[in-house]
Amino acid sequence: MPFAPVLRAEWLKIRTVRPLPATLLALFAATTAFSAIAGVSDTSDPESDPLFMALSGVAPGQIAALSFGAMAVSAEYHNGALRLSLAAVPRRGLWYAAKLTAIAVPTLLTGLLTALAALLVARAGLGPEAAGLSLAEQTRGVVGCGLYLTLMALFAAGLTTLLRSAVATLSVLVPFILVVSFVIGDAAGTAVEFMPDRAGQVVLLETPDGILGPWTGLAVTALWTAAALLAGAWSLRRRDA
Amino acid sequence: MTSIDVQDLTKEYGPRRAVDHLTFRVLPGRVTGFLGPNGAGKSTTMRLVLGLDRPTSGSATLGGRDYATLPQPLREVGALLDAQAAHGSRTGRDHLRVLAASHRIPDRRVDEVLEETGLGPAGRRRVRTYSLGMRQRLGIAAALLGDPRVIMFDEPSNGLDPDGIVWIRTLLRRLADEGRTVLVSSHLMNETASFADHLVVLGRGRLLADTPVREFIDARVRPAVRIRTSDPAVLVSALAAHGHDAVEHPDGHWTVADARVEEIGRLVSGAGVPILELAADEGTLEQAYLDLTATETEFAAHHQEA
Repeated sequence: MPFAPVLRAEWLKIRTVRPLPATLLALFAATTAFSAIAGVSDTSDPESDPLFMALSGVAPGQIAALSFGAMAVSAEYHNGALRLSLAAVPRRGLWYAAKLTAIAVPTLLTGLLTALAALLVARAGLGPEAAGLSLAEQTRGVVGCGLYLTLMALFAAGLTTLLRSAVATLSVLVPFILVVSFVIGDAAGTAVEFMPDRAGQVVLLETPDGILGPWTGLAVTALWTAAALLAGAWSLRRRDA
Repeated sequence: MTSIDVQDLTKEYGPRRAVDHLTFRVLPGRVTGFLGPNGAGKSTTMRLVLGLDRPTSGSATLGGRDYATLPQPLREVGALLDAQAAHGSRTGRDHLRVLAASHRIPDRRVDEVLEETGLGPAGRRRVRTYSLGMRQRLGIAAALLGDPRVIMFDEPSNGLDPDGIVWIRTLLRRLADEGRTVLVSSHLMNETASFADHLVVLGRGRLLADTPVREFIDARVRPAVRIRTSDPAVLVSALAAHGHDAVEHPDGHWTVADARVEEIGRLVSGAGVPILELAADEGTLEQAYLDLTATETEFAAHHQEA
């Protein structure tokens, strides 16, 4: 079976269930809105990183990316939908690759567009604070942000394939990202820098000050994502549909 | 032509054996009814044929090939497993377009099967607004999409209205007459008797029978003859003279057990019995099935005692 028609089928699946494109719209809206607020906020700390300030909308926006990845997969685990999908495409590895591509490509495009928009609106608010950002730093921030959001969507997709439920996935990931990283975060020392969200967000800093650089941080997140995707692939191959 | 070959197939879920050393073939050109009570292993067998569940041992192939190796499975096999499988927020048409896209089947064909299954304009509505019967029709439309040579329907008449049941009977007949291999599961006897040519009967995962419907019934239910007469005394003596017993029923008709209408008809007319009604009382699939399962239950009970 060739890959292209299977990918087309998976993309059509995402496009034809309204909540899924709506989640990508929410990703765009939440990220740019929060970045805009951060841009004009009076409480901005003069010592804070201006690139990170401009892209701070990613913190809420990534929840939408996680939801997108989780929901796109979990739809297969309702009422035997997966059986119908695998009856049409019995080569499970091929099907999984098409599903992940259909999640990754739109998330990446939305992510890049979102990061660019967030940066532009936030810069308008930050004014002189953002003046020192170089083009290279801003490009790295935007590209990194798109990649980060894509990795998070795939992370959720892999975990959902393993757990077979978006609710289970999101109730693991959302508290993990919102609570563990933020609250325990600074107390736990350097280990927390290797958490999937913390590591990946280094790419959003103008001047990273931890162990990880922008691209090594993103690589750490990619490893987390790869682990989740492999776990999902293992589950999909091994279990009865 | 493609047949479904099930060879020594066994599937265990933990300690429970859902399918137990099952061997049978489903041949093209006829409708094979797949009978058995709920939980007998019919759906499991179908999932095993489609490669959705892995067999514990044995094999299930289509024309000698594993389902997973088919290059274009929807063009070879059309299956209806669960009418609920379509996503509620998608339209019926989009549901079919998704399946069609994976095989490069044009949208024209999607509209064709929507028409063929009587959904037509309802295809533009979201699946969550469908009745159970409409979902069933959508599932059948999905199975027909690739014009497959093998058809497998799991309880297709579930939720269909009387019109729908007549429609599906005609459809199954047509598909078999076109030379396709048709396997249809059901737990309803009279329903199955109305469309099947051949039967595969399961009980607790094991094969109980694999035979033509007519033979299945004739082997298990003795034929009887039903008579009404205006002169019972002459009837009874004429039958008794030839060694037949007649039993009278409260509404006034008589039955002669274990007899053929050809013989009894000649006999009573020869004796000058006035006949108001004479009919062959052939066994039903239900009677035959109950007889079979009764033997099975006895067999199982004996086994446990031993």
